[in-house]
Amino acid sequence: MRNLFQVSAAFEDIMPAEYKSLIENGPFGGDKGVTDLGTFKELLEEHPLCAGCGLALSLRLILASLPNPEHTIIVGSTGCSALAFPQAAVHNIHSLFGNQNAVASGLKRALSLRFPDVVKDVVVIAGDGATADIGLDMVMHSWFRQERITTIMLDNEAYANTGGQESGMSQEGAVLNMAPKGKNFSKISVPELAWASGCAYVAAVTPANPRKLQSAVRRGILAARETGSSYIQVYSPCPTNYKFKPNQTIEKVKSREKDGTYQVREYISDEAQLLFDRLEEVKNG
Amino acid sequence: MYAAVRINEIICIGCKKCIYACPDPNVLSFDEETRKVSADESRCKGCGLCVSECPKDAMSIY
Repeated sequence: MRNLFQVSAAFEDIMPAEYKSLIENGPFGGDKGVTDLGTFKELLEEHPLCAGCGLALSLRLILASLPNPEHTIIVGSTGCSALAFPQAAVHNIHSLFGNQNAVASGLKRALSLRFPDVVKDVVVIAGDGATADIGLDMVMHSWFRQERITTIMLDNEAYANTGGQESGMSQEGAVLNMAPKGKNFSKISVPELAWASGCAYVAAVTPANPRKLQSAVRRGILAARETGSSYIQVYSPCPTNYKFKPNQTIEKVKSREKDGTYQVREYISDEAQLLFDRLEEVKNG
Repeated sequence: MYAAVRINEIICIGCKKCIYACPDPNVLSFDEETRKVSADESRCKGCGLCVSECPKDAMSIY
């Protein structure tokens, strides 16, 4: 697999050191996961997101969890996450705000026609605004059609990139820069919505537990390959808009888990469960 | 450089909790031989998440 990515001999002296180390010590072709973080060159490069950003942490863990990064295409959408994708060493597409699942559906179908023998994973990674508000119709219809794509929502509970407006995923009573009176409605239960819409695998996880996050991402991608749509929601608190110190991001996640306002949960269809059991058996010999 | 992390390598036990908590890529790296974590200070944004996660107080922001 490593021969897929090579620096042409004529360019060796001018290629950036980061690029070279990605080829020599990157996660391509190997079996690298979140537990190996710190020992290999990550797919994400220095990004412009804030210090202590929960979304950046989630994104870093998600990219490290990808089972097949060289054959993965990420479809992103407007939002904070879109600022990080130009720095990611994975094929990625920036779509119109809210259109990400429609673009991913078409892409997955085209790829399965063009490369029928190669497994290509199409993963949507977008914020809560793009998934639960502006793109909800595209997202839900891709689930109704059972498109073979994985939808990952980075849930920072606000439109963090535009000054802090309330989103559908903000909690009831949440006070933000541009929602000074507090939000009047409750947080949308997207995992339940996804389960009712026919997703084969649904999970809500947090970056405070990287191993759980990795297993959710891998299961989501495997379920999307074999059975149907999958949805993963990752709670990624925003220190800039929710006005807590950047070093409290993980504390915040843990306290929300503890008081039950963000529940880590998983829904697996019978078909997907059979698939995971079969893969587990193959793995254990 | 505004703020960056400093690691006391004598105290570090190599549990890698800081690596799982850092929002920025390639800042903290783990040496398999010495079983210690080291930091690339030029990439650090100084958020302090690693400091609050470290169980041995081996890290500080300066």
